[in-house]
Amino acid sequence: MNGQYAALLIALPLISAFFVPVFKGMGKNAVRYFLILVTALQTGIAAWVFKEVYTTGQPIIVIAGGWKPPVGINLYLGHFAALFVLIIAVVSLFTAVFSISAVKTEPIDKYAMLFLLLMLGATGMIATGDIFNLFVFMEITAITAYALTAYNKTGEAAEASMKYIILGGIGSSFFLIGVALIYGSLGTLNMAQIAQLAATMDPTVAQVGLALIILGLAVEAELFPLNAWAPDAYQAAPHPITVMFSAFVVKAALYAMARILYLMQVVESWGSVLRLLIVMATLTVVVAELAALRQKNVKRMIAYSSIAQIGLIALAFALGTQAGVDAGVFHMVNHAIVKALLFLAVGYVAITLGGAELEKFQGLGRRMPLTAFAISVGAVATIGIPLFNVFWSKIRIILATLNVGYTWAAVLVLSASVVEAVYYFRLLHAIWFEGEGERISESMVIGLMMLFLAALVVVIGVYPDYVWELARKAGEDIFNVAQYVKNVPLMGVGA
Amino acid sequence: MISVYYFGAIALILIGLYAILVKKNLLKILIGLSIMETGVNLLLISIGYVSGKSAPILSEGIGPSQAVDPIPQALVLTAIVIGVATTAMALSVAILIYEKYGTLNVEEIRRLRG
Repeated sequence: MNGQYAALLIALPLISAFFVPVFKGMGKNAVRYFLILVTALQTGIAAWVFKEVYTTGQPIIVIAGGWKPPVGINLYLGHFAALFVLIIAVVSLFTAVFSISAVKTEPIDKYAMLFLLLMLGATGMIATGDIFNLFVFMEITAITAYALTAYNKTGEAAEASMKYIILGGIGSSFFLIGVALIYGSLGTLNMAQIAQLAATMDPTVAQVGLALIILGLAVEAELFPLNAWAPDAYQAAPHPITVMFSAFVVKAALYAMARILYLMQVVESWGSVLRLLIVMATLTVVVAELAALRQKNVKRMIAYSSIAQIGLIALAFALGTQAGVDAGVFHMVNHAIVKALLFLAVGYVAITLGGAELEKFQGLGRRMPLTAFAISVGAVATIGIPLFNVFWSKIRIILATLNVGYTWAAVLVLSASVVEAVYYFRLLHAIWFEGEGERISESMVIGLMMLFLAALVVVIGVYPDYVWELARKAGEDIFNVAQYVKNVPLMGVGA
Repeated sequence: MISVYYFGAIALILIGLYAILVKKNLLKILIGLSIMETGVNLLLISIGYVSGKSAPILSEGIGPSQAVDPIPQALVLTAIVIGVATTAMALSVAILIYEKYGTLNVEEIRRLRG
């Protein structure tokens, strides 16, 4: 089949979002099942792209409107994009199913539209090969995320959304200034051509532009000190949306950061930008783990834990070596699975018991054994215990950090893992050894989804080689810029 | 000698940033955000300016070589729309905040803590 069909990854959610009002007239359930149908179709297309890219080993380049890059915009579905587009689609399918029972109070049609646009924005950010198009997709993601955060229409939700809007507004302005500086000095917006011309760039302009772009993306990517919005948004947003934020919205921004960073690795001042990012990433891990330690609300606690894991990924990407990037991608995959599992289970508990405070979790092992089991697998995996998937990616990140010589960063990150173990074991203690309770019947569908994710955690933990191989190829896609440039058919430039 | 356009655009960005950081009223913060976005758009458009050339529309007497850079204009057109959408979103959230909290002072909007 023709690779250009991969453009449906962007087109399908966009068209479907416009069709939601049509289905609204057919009753509330029509919208819900339409959402599931579209995400299932998206998963099918993503699986096809994944199979295509990994069997041929060649990226799919979608050329918009027949204008070859760098004149037109191109989508670059390499090993990384194919893997993450699939993850985005699968997580969206799960959250769409979860939304049936989780979103009842507020209008579902607007929710479905924003949901599809959030999926579209994240897919676009990962697939695009043009730096301004990246900005546009980032804004689609951000604006839908603002709206979805405020979706519950409580005072807390409005407050969380407002913080996110103000920080996100500053961040996107910084990003745009960075794009303006790069365009002003190179005269191109295409990523492949930027990489080709990067060596000719003035080091000071490159340093300032790159730093501004990283600060801009750091808001979406939840890096300290620009992540103050994140725990509030996670706490106040609808439960299915929290799954999406943690599993792929952050990942898209992190990927964009890594991609732009490695495009410009020939620039002289590159090392100083890396050092800035390493300091930010290490601080993110330490601050978030310490903040999680004193949380009473379980959803907020897991939100801080999620931010800390993001810091680890950013640290891996900032090392500037192949080993670091591979480990970072591997951790992204593992973290997406584990945090989707945790937020799904915690959200389900919060819906059933009416709140996510720690007291509500006492005796959960007796009341909702399946959900309690899912939370336990997720918690143990996040700490990084052997035979669970996160162990392998954490250890690879630590080893890569030590190899580059940042012993202090590795020590700080490892000590933060100890803190992490403390609060997760406190949660597990409350679930299994405290409180009494009657058995509550659990939903079959959500139970099956949680079991599937938990099984995935354990299978990757016992046989990490297959996924590690995928992550290694995806990491190569980010790190090896010469190959990236060669893959994009640049019209008449440098050839 | 730095061009007056660059100076003006960056000054606008800094004024907007100052308003966001210092003002206590939510609406003034949002005004700051808007000013900052305007500054960024002005910076983008002044990057494409070529001294003495005309608008990039093909018409009689104006060939492709006599026009300023058209790309930043397309970028700014997109960025303006995005800025307006963000502002509209922020204002609707501000209305919601005023309904729920009865104030727009950012120091009193503090229910989420920790």
